Amino acid sequence: MSLYKQIILEHAQNPRNYGRLKNPDLKAHLANPLCGDEITIEIVKKGQILKDIKFSGTGCIIMKASASLLTEKVRKIKDVETIKELNKKSVLKLLGGELTPTRQKCALLAFEAIEKALG
Amino acid sequence: MNKNTLNIRKDFPILKNRKLVYLDSSATSLKPKCVIDAIDGYNSQYSANVHRGIYKLSEKATDEYEKARPRLADFINASCEEIIFVRNTTEAINLVAYIWGEDNLQKGDNLVTSVMEHHSNFVPWQQLAKRKKAEFRVFDINDDGTLNLEDFKKKLNLKTKLVAVTHVSNVLGTINPIKDIVRQAHEKGALVLIDGAQAVPHIKVDVKDLECDFYAFSGHKMLGPTGVGVLWVRKEILNKMKPFLFGGSMIEKVTLKGAAFNHSPEKFEAGTPDISGAIGFGAAVDYLARVGMQDIEKYEDKLKKYAYQKLAKIQNITIYGPSDINKKCAVFAFNVKGIHPHDLASLLDEEGICVRAGHHCTMPLHTHLGLIASVRASFYIYNTREDVDKLVKAIKKAQKLLILNS
Repeated sequence: MSLYKQIILEHAQNPRNYGRLKNPDLKAHLANPLCGDEITIEIVKKGQILKDIKFSGTGCIIMKASASLLTEKVRKIKDVETIKELNKKSVLKLLGGELTPTRQKCALLAFEAIEKALG
Repeated sequence: MNKNTLNIRKDFPILKNRKLVYLDSSATSLKPKCVIDAIDGYNSQYSANVHRGIYKLSEKATDEYEKARPRLADFINASCEEIIFVRNTTEAINLVAYIWGEDNLQKGDNLVTSVMEHHSNFVPWQQLAKRKKAEFRVFDINDDGTLNLEDFKKKLNLKTKLVAVTHVSNVLGTINPIKDIVRQAHEKGALVLIDGAQAVPHIKVDVKDLECDFYAFSGHKMLGPTGVGVLWVRKEILNKMKPFLFGGSMIEKVTLKGAAFNHSPEKFEAGTPDISGAIGFGAAVDYLARVGMQDIEKYEDKLKKYAYQKLAKIQNITIYGPSDINKKCAVFAFNVKGIHPHDLASLLDEEGICVRAGHHCTMPLHTHLGLIASVRASFYIYNTREDVDKLVKAIKKAQKLLILNS
């Protein structure tokens, strides 16, 4: 089955939580120099509760769709400690389909940026 | 010869998978059965070490290994003692940088290379210049992806010790005017190293005719196995070069106080070499000679013209490199507007088409072109017009999918 399912394409074309936050408490930037993908994650939190999250940057469909799906997911989870428990496997599962190791890097850029922001 | 095929696909076991459209031969080529058999023959029938044994098996291994050398020498019109087996083109270039470069480059000298080089013919010189406090000079390309020879002339002076340039660009496909470059460099007293990794597989190379001083190429890009390549060095220069690695095979005599070294090529081949690799490389060269380099050139010429014609018609495609197809080999780096190279490569992969996406180890070139990445389709003797048609169809399908969803 194609990796480029309707849901992936839809998220890449209309990414959720795309943009910048006015006064983020946490922020991280990551780039993949090999393909030029880059992402900035901004987070507003109150205590251990995530209040808002946005991502911005440029990249391939897999990177954008993954960032869109993942920010939606962490927004639902809210609790920072629980978000920190997310692992690569669960993020790749959000996308479905088979990803080669090279494309996994695209898919995990948002995850790694969130990890970096949360410290 | 049948005009539209070399009729050799049957020789490549991997192509029994009829869905496979392999368009990444600039990265590494497929292997014909005779090469696989030659490697397997060594491993299963006479896998002894070379240059050591008295017993028959070792003699057989030595004999087969050493048979590869004259085959390679003949292939590029060189003499046997000038053919040094190395791991690949990268190692060949590094050997020259570490041995010839360390001995011949002084503070204030300069090295000249072009912006279209593969990192393996760029970084070793950049690093050597740093070590020696020498100048590292990079000359430009023209808008059509050919070398800017005016700029080359400007970069060249009496302090230039070496010009390192690729014979054929691994991205643009440009076939460079090596004889002209060699003549100009020699006039200034500089030596010339040619990266032939993308040339030897596709065009007849004659190092004597080119009159260059060093020539490097890899087995795996010309139907041979990975792990073996050739550094050719002109005899007069080679005789003055110190050994690279020290150890077995490369010595004549060792005492507690010192060592005397073997003559070339053994002097530069310390340790047990990639025996099956060299034997496989010899078989690959035999195969290419059987098909005939002239026929290969003719065939690829037709195929590249067909591919260019078809690809150029795709809407919103930008193909990099010479638009005069006669100035290039069958390598096409391109981008399709609105589609990230990684997405396009993945979508093509879903159709069984193998292309490369990225900077193809040429970051300075991509920066020069204002790009981060591109998609590259590279063709070889086993590719057909049908492969071109499948590629074009798949690109159009990807465009449709992504445009419908935007």
